[in-house]
Amino acid sequence: MASLSPSSFYNIQSWSISRRGINRRGNSSSSRSIRAQQQEQVQEKQEQVQETQEQVQEKQEQVQETQEQVQEKKTGGVQQQPRQPNAKSKNMSVEYGGQWLSSVTRHVRIYAAYIDPITHAFDQTQMDKLTLLLDPSDEFIWTPEACQKVYDYFMELVDHYEGAPLSEYTLRLIGSDIEHYICKLLYDGDIKYNMNARVLNFSMGKPRIKFNSSEIKNSK
Amino acid sequence: MQSRLSDWLVKHELVHRSLGFDYQGIETLQIKTEDWDSIAVISYIYGYNYLRSQCAYDVAPGGFLASVYHLTRIQYGIDKAEEVCLKVFVSRNNPRIPSVFWIWKSADFQERESYDMFGISYANHPRLKRILMPESWIGWPLRKDYITPNFYEIQDAR
Repeated sequence: MASLSPSSFYNIQSWSISRRGINRRGNSSSSRSIRAQQQEQVQEKQEQVQETQEQVQEKQEQVQETQEQVQEKKTGGVQQQPRQPNAKSKNMSVEYGGQWLSSVTRHVRIYAAYIDPITHAFDQTQMDKLTLLLDPSDEFIWTPEACQKVYDYFMELVDHYEGAPLSEYTLRLIGSDIEHYICKLLYDGDIKYNMNARVLNFSMGKPRIKFNSSEIKNSK
Repeated sequence: MQSRLSDWLVKHELVHRSLGFDYQGIETLQIKTEDWDSIAVISYIYGYNYLRSQCAYDVAPGGFLASVYHLTRIQYGIDKAEEVCLKVFVSRNNPRIPSVFWIWKSADFQERESYDMFGISYANHPRLKRILMPESWIGWPLRKDYITPNFYEIQDAR
């Protein structure tokens, strides 16, 4: 079992953190149409390429180049694309051990892997990185300051658990602490419930007016 | 009512101690850890061919851990099968008990569960690892001195 060695904490800057990176509901329909348009354009270009192949064999090299360009365009315009479920993920199959080190709760998902923020491809070969997905189900309205607070707290926790074995148990300890911290943020009024969320079940308590954790007796 | 196994053990000069009878009249015997290997074999030879249940419990805070074996003698043409309950007590600092897997194969998962919940390590068990909890779990959940980690659960919803 790998352990969180101190050396793996020096590249703390490269730790990926993508906030609510999975799906934005509002954009999904428009981005789908954009993607369809792109695919149509790509098909047209491929047809043109085939025509050129038939016409002139000597230009095959150039044709390949254009094919590559087409592929680049495919991957280049991904920022408007929705999540790609078939994005290539490294090291997730059984022959690599199939380890899936993660801590998944409703608002916090921690993976001992690198997740590409654009394509959402999993790369578990980079075990020295932790990725935090914050509130994928959009239950809360996040301000950049609140995000930064959670991120700082995440860093603090990772420093605190330095030297502990990199296992699901440790990740779950970290994830649970962040969940409790999010609860505290909610009680302090730093974040609010997103009333347009897909699931509106107020998983951290019903919303109230003038609610502060300092007014509750038994809160931390 | 006198247990026949107890008589038989006395006759063969094997150390044990009777803990009395339960409400069904089944005798409970306490057995030392170092004798357990031989007594398990002997009770199988005597005729207890069925391990009905294996379980464990924590006797008292800071006290012993107990591993309990309910044995039954199954024969043809018998109206009421002969039963006995054997208990092995170990200290919680180094709980090691010989496994009875090689005598009664049904002890496999049950001993694994006892290991998972109480940390009793059964010597010579073929694959002694956690069966209910995740393999990376720390601590033995059913011991009396276990402290539950403050994990965020769905039932925390208010």
